[in-house]
Amino acid sequence: MSRLKAEHLYKVFGRRPEAAVKRLEGGASRDELRADGTTAAVIDASFEVQAGEIFVVMGLSGSGKSTLLRMLNGLLDPTSGSVCYDGRDLTALTPRELRDVRSRNISMVFQHFALFPHRSVLENAAYGLEVRGVPRVERERRAAEALELAGLAGWERSWPDELSGGMQQRVGLARALATDADLLLMDESFSALDPLIRRDMQDQLLDLQKRLKKTIVFITHDLNEAMRLGDRIAVMRDGRIVQNGTAEDILVRPANDYVASFIQDVDRSRVLTAGSVMTEGAVDAATTTVGADTPLADLFGPLAQGTPVAVRGDDGGIAGVVTRERLLAALGEQPAEVTAGA
Amino acid sequence: MPRINLGSWAKSAVDWLQSHLSWLFDAISTVLTGMYDGVHAVLSAPDALLMAGILAVVAWWLRGLAAAVLAFAGLALIDSFRLWDQATSTLSLILVASVITLVLAVPLGIWAARDRRVSKALRPVLDVMQTMPAFVYLIPGVMFFSIGPMPGLIATIVFSMPPGVRMTELGIRQVDGELVEAARAFGTTPRDTLLRVQLPLALPTIMAGVNQVIMLALSMVVIASMAGAGGLGEAVYSAVTQVDIGAGVESGLAVVVLAMYLDRMTGALGTRVSPLGRRGAAKAASADRTPAFLRYRPGTAVATVGVVVLALVAGGMHLVRGGDRESVAAGKDIGRGKTVRIGYFPWDEAVASTYLWQNVLEARGYKPQVKQLDPGPLYTALAQGQMDVQFDSWLPTTHKQYWDRYGDKLSDLGTWYGPTSLELTVPSYMKDVNSLEDLKGRSGEFGGKIVGIEASAGMMGKLNGNVLKDYGLDGEYKVVSSSTSTMLAELDRALKKKEPIVTTLWSPHWAYGTYDLKKLKDPKGAWGKGEELHSIGKKDFAKEFPRVAEWVKGFKMSEKDLASLEAEIQKGGKGHEKESAGRWLNARPGLLDKMAPVTS
Repeated sequence: MSRLKAEHLYKVFGRRPEAAVKRLEGGASRDELRADGTTAAVIDASFEVQAGEIFVVMGLSGSGKSTLLRMLNGLLDPTSGSVCYDGRDLTALTPRELRDVRSRNISMVFQHFALFPHRSVLENAAYGLEVRGVPRVERERRAAEALELAGLAGWERSWPDELSGGMQQRVGLARALATDADLLLMDESFSALDPLIRRDMQDQLLDLQKRLKKTIVFITHDLNEAMRLGDRIAVMRDGRIVQNGTAEDILVRPANDYVASFIQDVDRSRVLTAGSVMTEGAVDAATTTVGADTPLADLFGPLAQGTPVAVRGDDGGIAGVVTRERLLAALGEQPAEVTAGA
Repeated sequence: MPRINLGSWAKSAVDWLQSHLSWLFDAISTVLTGMYDGVHAVLSAPDALLMAGILAVVAWWLRGLAAAVLAFAGLALIDSFRLWDQATSTLSLILVASVITLVLAVPLGIWAARDRRVSKALRPVLDVMQTMPAFVYLIPGVMFFSIGPMPGLIATIVFSMPPGVRMTELGIRQVDGELVEAARAFGTTPRDTLLRVQLPLALPTIMAGVNQVIMLALSMVVIASMAGAGGLGEAVYSAVTQVDIGAGVESGLAVVVLAMYLDRMTGALGTRVSPLGRRGAAKAASADRTPAFLRYRPGTAVATVGVVVLALVAGGMHLVRGGDRESVAAGKDIGRGKTVRIGYFPWDEAVASTYLWQNVLEARGYKPQVKQLDPGPLYTALAQGQMDVQFDSWLPTTHKQYWDRYGDKLSDLGTWYGPTSLELTVPSYMKDVNSLEDLKGRSGEFGGKIVGIEASAGMMGKLNGNVLKDYGLDGEYKVVSSSTSTMLAELDRALKKKEPIVTTLWSPHWAYGTYDLKKLKDPKGAWGKGEELHSIGKKDFAKEFPRVAEWVKGFKMSEKDLASLEAEIQKGGKGHEKESAGRWLNARPGLLDKMAPVTS
């Protein structure tokens, strides 16, 4: 069963939002509504997120992705539609129940960290527990553990403004982890960091995720980031989800020209895996064997020597082979042919 | 555009409030006056220097040794000016006004920050509060709350509230929206969001607002004193009206000392109470290179101990010293300690007569309390029975407006001096100008202007309405209205440079004794008959103080006596009016018994 399920979510800002939803359902476009002074931020968004999965929502600014995220924990009320978390409809909760869900089950990491400048690092990390009324000793112990997980052991007594951006976001992450919430909402959490730090943070998130198995909804405008992190990716445009699938799905079978134009900049060698481009069948003269989820970038070395690379299947036996020609074709932005061969 | 009678509506509204809601005003007045009295009692209990020491310890705690030394020096200076009592009552007024202002302003600011509509509705109200001249609501204030600290307190609260509200609203709105969202995202209740996130982060801005509130409150002390708030404002006001430069500078400086003390202390308090401020201060201190002993600041506990010890010393001294009382000769104690409230405005003959009567009444066992007020508030207070008597009512012209309004609620206790005269005056060195007729055709010499006094004064109306017309001077001369003190300053300046000048003046006036002046003759009688100085009591004064009413009725003074009494008071200096008048009285044996005969 899915951990989080959004069904036909709409969010319209402006006057008479319900009427606007009716018009949208009747086929009106976003621009028609804008002419009347209402803004449709999210239109008919439905998706499911499985437990332990990183679900990335990718879109440019103004595509409605942040609005969508804020409906998942009730910071914004959907104009229409429902959000189910563990089978509970969040849109039907009282404010008190909703606050309880936020302090126990769903936590959030922000784009600009949103650390409280008047609290020490430890107090920041302990904030969610403090709100919930956990006694000081226990909440500080758990906050310190979360900080250690985030790689900030020893910085408890520091102040947020003494830390670099990357470290501040680790505090933000620790704050979200300290409550033991299962669902993490991450709103462009790494976008404000410079590229090297961002990469570190992505690695660390993946590393943490291996151990903690949280359910994560991650917002980003960076498709490379989406592909690196996401088990599944939803691409948003003008308030609508235009494609929802795995990184390879999107790369290999873009739903429309918009998505296709997006993936031009993606480093395909890091997204496509040996398993997705191999030709099934017998292997002769393969000197190297790799796993099916090895990115193509790691095949460059072995293939440079001229011999094909063998790909191990799920059962441990050899499932197929990647040749130099195969690799080049896959990288050559020819989705149709790759698909044909996959 | 038809005439909209807003003014008369306002007047009837005030009348209605006065007659229907007096219980409410009484209640408010009781609470606020109680607070004021309490604070004042605490502040004025210790000796001046001891209190200065206590305040210096507070400065040490908040800002360090240098600030403490400066604070002590400044406060000691106030004491050396003999203005300590006034300073404590001003300080009490400001503290009470500021506390009440903040109690109202901060919640209003919070409300405005959370609700745009409230913010929009409040804005014009705050504008009115901040810009409506305080005099406009000072008189209604007197009607509602009687004279004393209350009207000044109200005026101060009204005037200093807007920055408190605005800065609170601004401070909360300035808090990063993402932080508020973060608080909500972790399940914080709206109330906790306010208390744990918004208010702590808005605190530096709110404290800047607190600072503004206190500074604006301080700027109101002079206006407050016009309705009887007393304190340094009264000292400034009377110094200005009597063109006493020295006293003006001293009392003005005393206000400045208080202002700087309060400004620095609230500024430092801002960094002490806000976590962000403490962080900033700690950072700044680590970069500071001043010697350590200057930077040392006692902890809160040490400072508290210091303040308590000094306060205990003060209490001890108070006990030892207490218990001296003046005694009144047996057989002459007619008043039996009954209080007589005498009001005066800072005109010389009013000061002279008031302090003379204070001496006389004290000798007869009364407890006269004298209070300086502006004429408007004083008449209002008399009409409402909050004041018992005043001696300087110029009738029938100068104070006609007050008599018309309140005449039926006052009692005329008789005249003691007259006739007075109104005139235009030139320096004696203007040889060719002796009469109003001589002014014609010489406007070039005088720059075409006659230096007048307050536009509201009765004699200004007479000058413009009758005198200029009768002598054909209208069109040629322009009457510049200013204020009495400005007129006197202008006169002083012209005399020193021997420039031609013509001013409005009246007799009796000390200027005739001080400067060499010439009253212009009025052959056509355009100024009208002279006035008389009346003693005016509240409606049932004679019933309440039959003997005093009798004595006042028989009170007369000649121009010579009045001039010598005024000169004696002038010589004695500010703050010693009572002693000077007493000296003058004692130098005239028999006068006391003549003014207040024991046997009737």
